[in-house]
Amino acid sequence: MVEWRQLKPLEWCKYVNKKVKVTAHEKHQFDGWVFTVDPVSASIVLVTFQEKGGTATVRVVTGHAVQEVEILQEGNEETARRLRDTFMPLGGQVLSLEELRCRKESLRMWLEKNRIPVEEEGETLRVANVLTVSAPYGAENCSSSNEIILARVQNLMEGNPGLTLQQPSNS
Amino acid sequence: MRTPMSVLRLPRGPDPNSRGFDPNSPRFIALCSTTISSSTDTETDSVQIGEEQCARSMLRESFLRTLIAMTNKQVQFYMYERVKVNAVFGASDIDVLNFQVSDLQTPIGVQKEALLRCQDVILYSFDL
Repeated sequence: MVEWRQLKPLEWCKYVNKKVKVTAHEKHQFDGWVFTVDPVSASIVLVTFQEKGGTATVRVVTGHAVQEVEILQEGNEETARRLRDTFMPLGGQVLSLEELRCRKESLRMWLEKNRIPVEEEGETLRVANVLTVSAPYGAENCSSSNEIILARVQNLMEGNPGLTLQQPSNS
Repeated sequence: MRTPMSVLRLPRGPDPNSRGFDPNSPRFIALCSTTISSSTDTETDSVQIGEEQCARSMLRESFLRTLIAMTNKQVQFYMYERVKVNAVFGASDIDVLNFQVSDLQTPIGVQKEALLRCQDVILYSFDL
């Protein structure tokens, strides 16, 4: 086969969402579902799903070590969805609009109670004109160019009693 | 966890940028290609180039998500000469030439922080 690294991106795309067997240097052979091929290093990302238990094993064969790639099985919508879900960003839980609105209100009231100016700008809250909080309005959703204000507001948010069902962590 | 081994300092310490990591070394320049494979045929129309760029960015984004998923996880690195090491993955550089790892378990001890050359790695594997 043509050298793996010389293939074009559109040709690499043809291997995505397929089960392949990769032969690499030093007589290694690996198989799995192709999630992607890095266009910079030509590395192949193979995912092997566990039948039970839910966790998947990801193996990445570096591009320079690939000798041959053989397609074993075609994927379908189901495998494509499973591959995508495997790499979903953490905390990708879906909140309903109602829940998002509640969280935003709760945060806004808590900030105002602590004498911090806050304005609503559509979906985001603008705090003291230098910090924005976007959905889902957690401490990690704050964005600011001022580190000190960022740290102060994040600490404050963690003490918001209205947001969790547990006891407030501090007074 | 074994006690991390101390870093050896030779009498004339090695240049921190040498041993294959120096961006000006012939080895680095040879590995870090300045051109990437793409259609250069003059007959290729802009539509195909556009499609190729879409494919390239989609593939790269998926690969970056793989790296994000790998961060701070235990990763097994299978290298040449049947070398297999475990480490906690930290970061990669843009060309996927070097990996920064922590707690690298080697046969001679645990290196607290280390840089791995990707050219020495055949496969790396982790569990999600």
